[in-house]
Amino acid sequence: MTQTTAPPRARPAQSSATGARSRARELLTGAVASIAITLLVVIVVGLAWVGPAFLSTSNITIIGSFVAVPLLVGACAGFALLAGVVDLSIGSMVGFSGAVFASLVVAGWGPWPAGAAAVVLCLVCGTINALAIVVFGASPIAATLGMLTALAGLNRVIVGRQGAVTALIPDLFDFTSRLALSLPLVFLLALVVVALATVVVTSMRLGRHIRAVGGDEVAATRAGISVLRVRFLALLFSAMGAGIGGILYVGQLGSASNSLGTGLEFQVYAALMIGGYSILRGGVGNPAGGAMGLLVVAGVANILDVQAISPYYVNIIVGLLLLAAVLIDRLRGGDAYE
Amino acid sequence: MGSPPAGGSRTGAGGLRAVRLHGWNTTLTLLGAWLLLIAISGLHRADFLAQQTVLAVTFTMAITGVLAVGQALVAISGGILDLSQPTSLILSAYVTSVLLALGVPTVVVVVVAVALGAAWGCLNALVIVFGKLNPIIVTLATNFIGVAALFLVFQSAQAPINSALRAFGRGYFLGLPDIWWPMVFLVLVVGWLLPRTRYGRRTIAVGGNRVAAQARGVSLRRTRFGVFTAAGACAGMAGLLFAGANAAFSPTAGSDFLLPVIAAVILAGVSLAGGRGNILLLLLSVGFLSTVPTSLAFFGLTSAWQTVFQGAILILAVAIDGYREKRARR
Repeated sequence: MTQTTAPPRARPAQSSATGARSRARELLTGAVASIAITLLVVIVVGLAWVGPAFLSTSNITIIGSFVAVPLLVGACAGFALLAGVVDLSIGSMVGFSGAVFASLVVAGWGPWPAGAAAVVLCLVCGTINALAIVVFGASPIAATLGMLTALAGLNRVIVGRQGAVTALIPDLFDFTSRLALSLPLVFLLALVVVALATVVVTSMRLGRHIRAVGGDEVAATRAGISVLRVRFLALLFSAMGAGIGGILYVGQLGSASNSLGTGLEFQVYAALMIGGYSILRGGVGNPAGGAMGLLVVAGVANILDVQAISPYYVNIIVGLLLLAAVLIDRLRGGDAYE
Repeated sequence: MGSPPAGGSRTGAGGLRAVRLHGWNTTLTLLGAWLLLIAISGLHRADFLAQQTVLAVTFTMAITGVLAVGQALVAISGGILDLSQPTSLILSAYVTSVLLALGVPTVVVVVVAVALGAAWGCLNALVIVFGKLNPIIVTLATNFIGVAALFLVFQSAQAPINSALRAFGRGYFLGLPDIWWPMVFLVLVVGWLLPRTRYGRRTIAVGGNRVAAQARGVSLRRTRFGVFTAAGACAGMAGLLFAGANAAFSPTAGSDFLLPVIAAVILAGVSLAGGRGNILLLLLSVGFLSTVPTSLAFFGLTSAWQTVFQGAILILAVAIDGYREKRARR
């Protein structure tokens, strides 16, 4: 937007020794540091309030299965945020993918072709997003809000009057409930995806290009980076994550309801912003920080759940954390809005 | 995707003219789209062109329209969007219901409801102005907090069925729903005043070029406070109409309005970047979007399809708008 006053904080690709030093300082004082501290505080509060059971394998299993899909969806959507094109449609897309997948399986398709079809359809939606935003120059918030609305409607159309499509797929259920190293396999896989995304963003050329495009479009173009291609790719990535996320939800829940994924985009983006991303400005944040943001929210939800406190307090805490996170980001030199 | 917008090639010096023509373009496009929708639906089923349709459309227009005025003010002033409208709407509707049940006079309730909405907007402005934080993030957060807090207070509420407000919500004036008239009045008054009063012109100036406006001595803080308070008051008024027109509602009921309202604002040609937009055009965009559900029902499509169409229209509209601006800039 045009409201930015502070100079863009996008860090250019650095390779020299000073780069390494500033990166080390960044680790101690940057956005990742404050979210790591927040996560630590949540763990300490959990241990103090709930007791050692908070870090027991059974409780971490509960948190892990709960947060696995948001982690995956968030890691992929983070690429779009970094490229400066927020994709609000991910929540509805998760629901849409789940509905398509479940109803195709009910119609007699095998899980693999049905899953492939669901992801391909999401990629088509991602392409429409990208065409509207990148080629036609539509505002990302407005265009993906349109996609969010359209897909929420399509989800209800597909699911039909019953309000849910039940699709129990034994193999998928086994996969989503399997434990590895005594933790949920999907949770570990989501963490692997987050780790890979972090490597891509922080130390690969593609990641540098994405951050450059999000940080300063004009400078990136001058450096010979195709803004169009990078943003297109980022939006497709975000759609793919949502597509896979929807299928995994069907595996976990055994059905796709007409409210699957509703509001997930706000939950995920609030957590990602707590973790250092910005939905209005590309080039800042990184997948590890975003993942910690999601873990903070999941941890808070878990503590309140175990203490039998109304779940509505979670949203109040998320809202306050979000305000605190953007305030700290601004005090650290981020954009000021006047 | 959409075909290039009408208007031929506009390059170079034509850019300024394009900006001036923009309002007319949007008006004609909206009017054309609306008439086309009515014509197609009428040709499909002649009974579409009946008073029932008019009543359904105008009824739908009322609350969306009032909220859209607030949302448009925020967007024009460069505040992007107020995502907390669902909270202020329900807050006002809930307090209205409680006060009416306690037997408080209707006039007092009306004042309290609008003031409560304004207070909520003021609260948003407080965080935005003193925290120097982006409104879209602040209102996202305050909406999280607000809806959750409302859930802690109540699960379901409704205004007393025999109250004057509920009678107003069901009544008709000159053949159209009572609740439609305040909406039209609000749109006309705000739409007329915005470009003609000092306060309105300041709002537009701040949204268009913040630095230039500041250099001319416009107080950003005061303008932001004014805009968000006024937007909150609109949401408070919408909550009043909502409580009158609906039976029982839950704290999440307000979120159904958010997307259609934003769609209406964007379709009316209000720029999310600020500084551009004509409030009067909201009558056309809200009218068009409110006709879609009734029209689809006559085509035998369920209400879920109406959401699909709303989304598709929004994508198409912003794509065309983006394309138009891209060419005007060139």
